[in-house]
Amino acid sequence: MTRHLGDDWVLPELSDLNRPFFTSGQVQVQVCDDCGVLQQPPDEICGSCQSTKLSFRATSGEGSIESVAVVHQAVHPALKDACPYAVVVVSLDDAPGVSVIGNVLNRDPGEVAIGQRVRACFETCPSADGEETLKIPQWEVV
Amino acid sequence: MKKQAVIAGVGESSYHVRGRSPDSEFQLACTAIRNAAEDAGIALADIDGFVSYNDQRNDPLRLARALGIRDLRWAVQSWAGGGNNAAHAVQMADAAVCAGYAENVVAFRALAQGQFGRFGQSRGGGRTMDGDMAWKAPYGLLSPAQECALHTARFMHDHGISQEALCDISLACYANAQRNPRAVRYGQPLDREKYHASRWIVEPFHLYDCCPENDGASAVVVTTAERARDLKSKPAAILACAQGLGPMYGSSAFQPRWIGRMYYDNVGRSLWERAGVGPDDVDVAQFYENFTGPVLISLCEMGFCKPDEVEAFVANGALEGPDARFPFNTSGGNIGEAYIHGFELVVEAARQIRGESTCQIADAELSLVVSGPGYAPGSALLLAKT
Ligand SMILES: [Zn+2]
Repeated sequence: MTRHLGDDWVLPELSDLNRPFFTSGQVQVQVCDDCGVLQQPPDEICGSCQSTKLSFRATSGEGSIESVAVVHQAVHPALKDACPYAVVVVSLDDAPGVSVIGNVLNRDPGEVAIGQRVRACFETCPSADGEETLKIPQWEVV
Repeated sequence: MKKQAVIAGVGESSYHVRGRSPDSEFQLACTAIRNAAEDAGIALADIDGFVSYNDQRNDPLRLARALGIRDLRWAVQSWAGGGNNAAHAVQMADAAVCAGYAENVVAFRALAQGQFGRFGQSRGGGRTMDGDMAWKAPYGLLSPAQECALHTARFMHDHGISQEALCDISLACYANAQRNPRAVRYGQPLDREKYHASRWIVEPFHLYDCCPENDGASAVVVTTAERARDLKSKPAAILACAQGLGPMYGSSAFQPRWIGRMYYDNVGRSLWERAGVGPDDVDVAQFYENFTGPVLISLCEMGFCKPDEVEAFVANGALEGPDARFPFNTSGGNIGEAYIHGFELVVEAARQIRGESTCQIADAELSLVVSGPGYAPGSALLLAKT
């Protein structure tokens, strides 16, 4: 199994706004070319200066856990075997004010805690249409 | 002179465990509206507006036909979320009545999750999810409970709040529901041991931190104070309403500066300013509790206490019964009475002003509803004796 929640579990529908994050093999966040603000999730306009000149920037993929919720009850039948699993919010060291959502892969869910240091890892699999390769950012406690 | 609007009538269907309603959702909606009109003493044919929120399936044209409405002049619903807009539905009715666009506006909510599927369940049947869900669903972040759990966990961590504070919210709802024969949880008391022994849904939420799923409908009739003087029922004046649009929605709510918050400081500021009163003046409060954790956050953000005081604020039965230090969710709320997307809380708030609650507090002059922490936009409503 290459994916933490199961190889058949839901994939992101790729778009111009999420393709860099889900395919680059880096934790990329959106940056405004005019004012330099970072934003996540990406959007079609900068929430700070309203510029539409936006691009993506790679981060170091290192950060800290801002919050954790351990899911015990599957809300979809396909997740039954994956429970319990930890959903985390991770703030990125070199992308101030920005955080991303993920799972922790190398600890039992009960051992995941706010404040822990984490490093990105990636789940590689084909996109749903088979046209592209996904590298889905995930997290390991260091 | 600006008109004053009132809630002139309240009504509901019977409330049921999900899937156990003998009536369809549309029939439940019609029953609640008929009961509210009957309570107000307003003929169904004189209703001229319908207001609801969040993808209400029972559309105003079908209702108008079924209820014999002659002249429908105002039909709107709110954006986004879920129970966050229960108070805002009343606000839109208030706006219509005060501006003179309509005179007898029904605000309502009906849901039959047995008939139409469950909110807490993922609707994703396909292999991919797009838009904001693309950032969450691949990681198994799918339900409101899970999102509220992430905010609650951070709030608890930052302010040293224990599981007991969450338990206290649930215990208060269950205790108050034991006085309310309408409540789905009537006759099913909860104690602290049973709470802690219940299974985790998503930490930090046990089973009893989560409201059940129910079938039912509730409604109020909003009209002018002037017209209400000729009606049979006891009106509750709409002193103030507020809707607050924080930047919190979807996955953007998890950015470091927003996590652990519910944006009720915005709602509270507008509400208190408009009403000319403050949290200390409130006699009885109904707080939307799809899950217990967001109640703690919104209590603080609405100005009732500080985050490091909230555990003590809710402890030792402080929220339970008619003589509570802080009378709270007196019908049992979403958790104890029924999950009608928080609209049952509006009905209960009006009953407190009328002196007709099953957990009636003495001399209720100011009755508060805080709708739906957990999703923006939030809303709140303050009712007063006329
Ligand atoms: Zn900018």
